[in-house]
Amino acid sequence: MRKAVLIFIALTLIIEITACAQQKVAQYNLSEKDWNVVLEEAKGTTVNFYGYGGDQKTNNWIDTYLSNELKEKYDITINRVGMNIDEILNKLLNEKQLNVNNGNIDVVWINGENFFTAKENDLLFGPFTHKLPNFNQYIDKNSVEVNYDFGFPVEGYEAPFGKSQFVMIYDSEKVKNIPVNHKELLQFVKNNPGKFTYPAPPDFTGSAFIRNIIYDIVGYEQFMDMEADEQIVREAIQPAIDYFVELKPYLWKEGNTYPSESGLLDNMYSDNEVVMTMSYNPNHVSSKIETGEFNETSRSFVFDKGSIGNTHFLAIPYNSENKSGALAVIDYILSVEAQASKYVPKTWGDLPVLDNSKLNHEEKALFDNINIGKGTISQDVLLNNRLPEMPADLVPIIEKIWMENVPKKGE
Amino acid sequence: MKNKYKPYVMLIPVMIVILGIFINGLIMAFIQSLGYFKAIGLTEITFKYYKEVLTSQGFLSSLGFSVYIATISSVIAVVLGVILAYSILRSTHRKGIEEAVYKIPIFVPHIVAALLAYNILAQSGVVPRVLYSIGIIKDQSQFPSLLYDKNGIGIIIAYIWKGIPFVAMVVYTILSNINNKLSQVALNLGANNRQVFFYILLPFIMPSIFSSFIIIFAFSFGAYELPFLLGPTSPKALPVKAYVEYTNSNLANRPYAMVINMILTIVSLILVWLYNKSFELISKYNR
Repeated sequence: MRKAVLIFIALTLIIEITACAQQKVAQYNLSEKDWNVVLEEAKGTTVNFYGYGGDQKTNNWIDTYLSNELKEKYDITINRVGMNIDEILNKLLNEKQLNVNNGNIDVVWINGENFFTAKENDLLFGPFTHKLPNFNQYIDKNSVEVNYDFGFPVEGYEAPFGKSQFVMIYDSEKVKNIPVNHKELLQFVKNNPGKFTYPAPPDFTGSAFIRNIIYDIVGYEQFMDMEADEQIVREAIQPAIDYFVELKPYLWKEGNTYPSESGLLDNMYSDNEVVMTMSYNPNHVSSKIETGEFNETSRSFVFDKGSIGNTHFLAIPYNSENKSGALAVIDYILSVEAQASKYVPKTWGDLPVLDNSKLNHEEKALFDNINIGKGTISQDVLLNNRLPEMPADLVPIIEKIWMENVPKKGE
Repeated sequence: MKNKYKPYVMLIPVMIVILGIFINGLIMAFIQSLGYFKAIGLTEITFKYYKEVLTSQGFLSSLGFSVYIATISSVIAVVLGVILAYSILRSTHRKGIEEAVYKIPIFVPHIVAALLAYNILAQSGVVPRVLYSIGIIKDQSQFPSLLYDKNGIGIIIAYIWKGIPFVAMVVYTILSNINNKLSQVALNLGANNRQVFFYILLPFIMPSIFSSFIIIFAFSFGAYELPFLLGPTSPKALPVKAYVEYTNSNLANRPYAMVINMILTIVSLILVWLYNKSFELISKYNR
């Protein structure tokens, strides 16, 4: 028996190291296909939509509005699978390792460093955006935000889905003078010791807060083409790291520990354990007021040097079995109706990606008539104070430097 | 000859699952921990990741934190569990309710235990609210910080809450099956209750105490959810650290996660070996 087990282990080792013969993924020749052919092929199929599933409103928008419209227009069934992006990437990576050529992910909601990783490792299908009629009609193809995702060239491998922007949230009853830059924030925290904190990276929101403070202190321009070298990044952000260390003793629990997730910080804000929270979704505050989790007097603000914004995208995995269906779905999401429906705070409240100058009068009115809800900053103010995200490969380096220098200092 | 192979044949279905999925995963993890990860172009086999991880300050403090939490929570859970089992054994009235109630925490998942601990012990939780309303503390920050703290008290309390009933259940089963006459003889010969417990009952239950200790130790050493939900930002417990490394978007980081996983695996294997030894002890006593 023992021998059998040993032989078995040895065999699996050999198989895994030599990794069975490479098979080719079924060819899908997009350039030769007419758009009508794509729609024809998409008809009657099911499209598996993978992405973050932790937000009730987003899920609801996909499950009701998007599903119904697609069913009616193209006879496509949407099957939404809520899964965190790191798990999706791992799944794709495992499929690539094991040469699975009929993957069941058709559309993946992705951006930033995850897109970078996926594209670097050939996990995505493309380029495909030039084929989408709505992309050609409504999207500003010269916009930096369309062509670059966290500083990384998109090259047609993903289509914009929506925009978000980092905002700080406070209770206007308790906070009278809003700290609009890092110096005022430090003073504010010193005056209210123990009443402020931020989520620890790798939490997405906490990581964005750290980057926003870095921008506020040392400016954003130098990061746009910075080399992903720990030494270079460390030197560039040193003033900001010093700032975080200075801030630390006045934070919640003296900055010895941080909420591990932004949801936890929201809870602490609701419970009055802290007086501010933050979000990468500018509509977060109005939707939380609506559900009764935040006080009616909650408001949001951005720093006067601007706040970080990013675009989230939709991509198609290299081994999707229904690429035509995926293309049809992504194209529909770029339509005026879909983008407007998504912008309504009651349904989701995600900022639209369309180029305003390409919309006609009626289409514009559609967006202008949307009531953006309590506490939310208007689209104009947000867009005027919008700073680009830094290259994706700098993000983990910054998180690592923060981890090594901030929570441990003074032990 | 036929009979000799029969058990193995019958084990095939379960062995396919264990060897096919579990062992396979372990082997893959082992290969990746050596830096072989073809999908992203790492093909050189090296021990450098082990060296880097084992000498890094972050890893050592995580290891220390995990060992600390697992040891403290398991020791306290075992001591209290044995006391609980003994007191149920000694209680004279009907035992139906006690025997049912004390097992409840066993059925509650760890993630729910974390939620309970959060609702009760956080500075905005139930206990500080009660203390505040009866005037013992004047501000929520006066309540000691039990969660998200370097001393890990919140995690330890949650593990103890889950561990006590488990130990009690295992020990109580043995205790209630020990021949009552042995204790009575000792009492008759002038031993007091303490002596009966330490010289007669304890040796009987010792092996099961030891094995239940190993089970809850291994669990609290290797489990992820409680330290993630209730633990501090730094040091992170080992399983949390492994997960953070694993989900790092930079895939070249993957070998580090696998090294941590291999170390967790090795510790668990040692514990399994000890567990087997303790069973040998039990069968020796039963002879």
